[in-house]
Amino acid sequence: MGRKKKKQMKPWCWYCNRDFDDEKILIQHQKAKHFKCHICHKKLYTGPGLAIHCMQVHKETIDSVPNAIPGRVDIELEIYGMEGIPEKDMQERRRTLEQKSQESQKKKSNNQDDSDEDEDDDDEAGPSVPQPAVVQPQQSYAAPMAQLVMPPVAGVPGMHPGAYQGMPPMMPGVPPMMHGMPHAMHGMPPGMMQMGGMMPPMMPGMPGMPHGMPHHMAPRPGMPHMAQAVGLMASRPAVPGVQPAVSKPLFPSAAQAQQSTSGVPASNPHGAASSDPPKATFPAYTQPSVSSSTSSSNPSSGAVAKPPATVATKPATLTTTSATSKLIHPDEDISLEEMKAQLPRYQRLTARQGQAHVAAPPVVSVGGIMPPQQGMLPQQPGMRHPMHGQYGAPPQGMPSYMPGGMPPYGQGPPMVPSYQGGPPMGMRPPVMSPAGRY
Amino acid sequence: MSLFGTTSGFGAGGTGVFGNATTDSHNPMKDVEVTSPPDDSISCLAFSPPTMPGNFLIGGSWANDVRCWEVQDNGQTVPKAQQMHTGPVLDACWSDDGSKVFTASCDKTAKMWDLNSNQAMQIAQHEGPIKSIHWIKAPNYSCIMTGSWDKTLKFWDTRSPNPMMSLQMPERSYCADVVYPMAVVATADRGLIVYQLENQPSEFRRIDSPLKHQHRCVAIFKDKQNKPTGFALGSIEGRVAIHYINPPNPAKDNFTFKCHRSNGTNTTTPQDIYAVNAISFHPVHGTLATVGSDGRFSFWDKDARTKLKTSEQLDQPITACAFNSNGNIFAYASSYDWSKGHEYYNPQKKNYIFLRNAAEELKPRNKKW
Repeated sequence: MGRKKKKQMKPWCWYCNRDFDDEKILIQHQKAKHFKCHICHKKLYTGPGLAIHCMQVHKETIDSVPNAIPGRVDIELEIYGMEGIPEKDMQERRRTLEQKSQESQKKKSNNQDDSDEDEDDDDEAGPSVPQPAVVQPQQSYAAPMAQLVMPPVAGVPGMHPGAYQGMPPMMPGVPPMMHGMPHAMHGMPPGMMQMGGMMPPMMPGMPGMPHGMPHHMAPRPGMPHMAQAVGLMASRPAVPGVQPAVSKPLFPSAAQAQQSTSGVPASNPHGAASSDPPKATFPAYTQPSVSSSTSSSNPSSGAVAKPPATVATKPATLTTTSATSKLIHPDEDISLEEMKAQLPRYQRLTARQGQAHVAAPPVVSVGGIMPPQQGMLPQQPGMRHPMHGQYGAPPQGMPSYMPGGMPPYGQGPPMVPSYQGGPPMGMRPPVMSPAGRY
Repeated sequence: MSLFGTTSGFGAGGTGVFGNATTDSHNPMKDVEVTSPPDDSISCLAFSPPTMPGNFLIGGSWANDVRCWEVQDNGQTVPKAQQMHTGPVLDACWSDDGSKVFTASCDKTAKMWDLNSNQAMQIAQHEGPIKSIHWIKAPNYSCIMTGSWDKTLKFWDTRSPNPMMSLQMPERSYCADVVYPMAVVATADRGLIVYQLENQPSEFRRIDSPLKHQHRCVAIFKDKQNKPTGFALGSIEGRVAIHYINPPNPAKDNFTFKCHRSNGTNTTTPQDIYAVNAISFHPVHGTLATVGSDGRFSFWDKDARTKLKTSEQLDQPITACAFNSNGNIFAYASSYDWSKGHEYYNPQKKNYIFLRNAAEELKPRNKKW
């Protein structure tokens, strides 16, 4: 204490002669008391700053510093805390302090404590827009496109678990072209009719079905429709004309995803079925004969597979909403043009780039998601397919399984080791190279 | 200079000719409608260069076409010609002599359209849709610069099927601008690359984005000596950054400002923030125009840091804008930009291009102090 004799000056406010313990507090005080805009309450940093603000923002002229004692209202002076105080005022202050120092230290202490100024409405408030989720995997733009293609489905990952019930399990090990089938059988009723149309290609293989199928099926309670389904299919002779429609998969993604899923487990293509109880669900499908015949007769189904790749990955998303603001922009962090370019209407003319390369990764990821499916039993409700959103329960999610749903061969090789067996191979020819298509 | 030289001429002509079409909200500013607008969203607008007598406007659209209109002194527009791509047209530009128009498309090609012969030929090829196209006129060379979603920036001499040069970018090109000897490309993932074009194009500098959201449009501005000195960058978050390349005092000279937002922050409802779809600098005053998904255009003075004007709200977003070469005409296009997703797409809505007299409104205000 004794040392403080010399006493460097405590921070004080030039505008109102108030003392402060800390220059930081002084600055806060100045911002709140003297540099605050009376119109919008924005706190500026200096008198001139305030003047400029008022001029530019509110078109008002400020001629004096608010709340300043007479003689200290000069708006032009650039004072910030203890900086910029005119030297003469500095000295004067020193003198008066010296005089006062003897008599009362207390007086000061009173003043000092209050750091004053409530944090009032500081509407610095920029856009409280949250940081963008900048993360941005590069496939992003391809991916979303898939979503656009199938708007309804978009963004409904893991939706309707129910949709698949019963079905999925059979996927594993089932040769690709078979997909159409099971669905057909299952969801049959209403929406199925068209399905029937799509089925034709596999018809050739049909003969084999009946026996294999029912046979294995029977035990499975979850599969009641099977038999009739088969019957249905059988009764529908090939309807070639319909095929083309198929090749325009509304939900390629779904198909694709499906594809990958099925592929995984399928490591035991043929005989496996019978020998391996759990997977035996649909041994019939794995029969080589079926597949081979199908393949030849089913060129277009291969084509269908085209769009698959993209779907799986979602692009990085933006945080578009916060408490105080909403970005009017789709959630995906890709440009509006990219999004728009993915629309089917623009796509037919447009070549989609990147599709090819992008293809692989997404597929894989799908696979990653799907695996759980493989082990599942038909009845298992837990089943979910990312893409099936719109198909919800009623149709049993069937439609999305386009018969041609399998990815073109080249596209998902990593994923589909299972195909290696016999059948799928046959499919290859029909595969339209996605590239070509795009 | 008589073209649009006087406010009265242009304004009066406009209302005289189109006086009856201004009642609903598609044209709240009562500007002149360009006849025969494209049938789908308009992606770009560009006026003919000063070397050409008269004013010609080109506009590219998602209907795969690019159209050319002559804009007459009285504000009337006469459709002149059009060319087609096999995919949506995303950008277009003029050659410096005005004899040719270059167009970039989702079909991955760029074309050169010779207006004299009305022939178009392919001059560039990318692996992906081409998002931007610019004509570069250097003393020792001239070429076309194309930026694509295939993450490359390519330079073409228009005669060879192979690019003169191809530069890799870290991300997909979203927007670009060229004012010799400077080019700037803004990419996905908030990338920002400045190129210098002297002798031959080369990467000059990568800049950390001053914005926190996806880049959407960029425009270079010039200093008093008419040299490019910086750029304005717009994002999807209703914000524009004014960024100088070599500012004496970066902290002070560079700044961002908010725009194209619905209401103040102090209301209880969340503020709607729209994308800035395009930015264009006035060729004479150096002030700028921004247009947004909110269906408004605004004029700004970046030096005084003030807003000069904001338009009424159109019923559709404004997707593109351009000034003519002497700065008397401001053209802006109203069409859906997909910012609200497909649910809000209304195929019934027509697309419009409007012309506005820009001679007065873009003058900087006198400094008052």
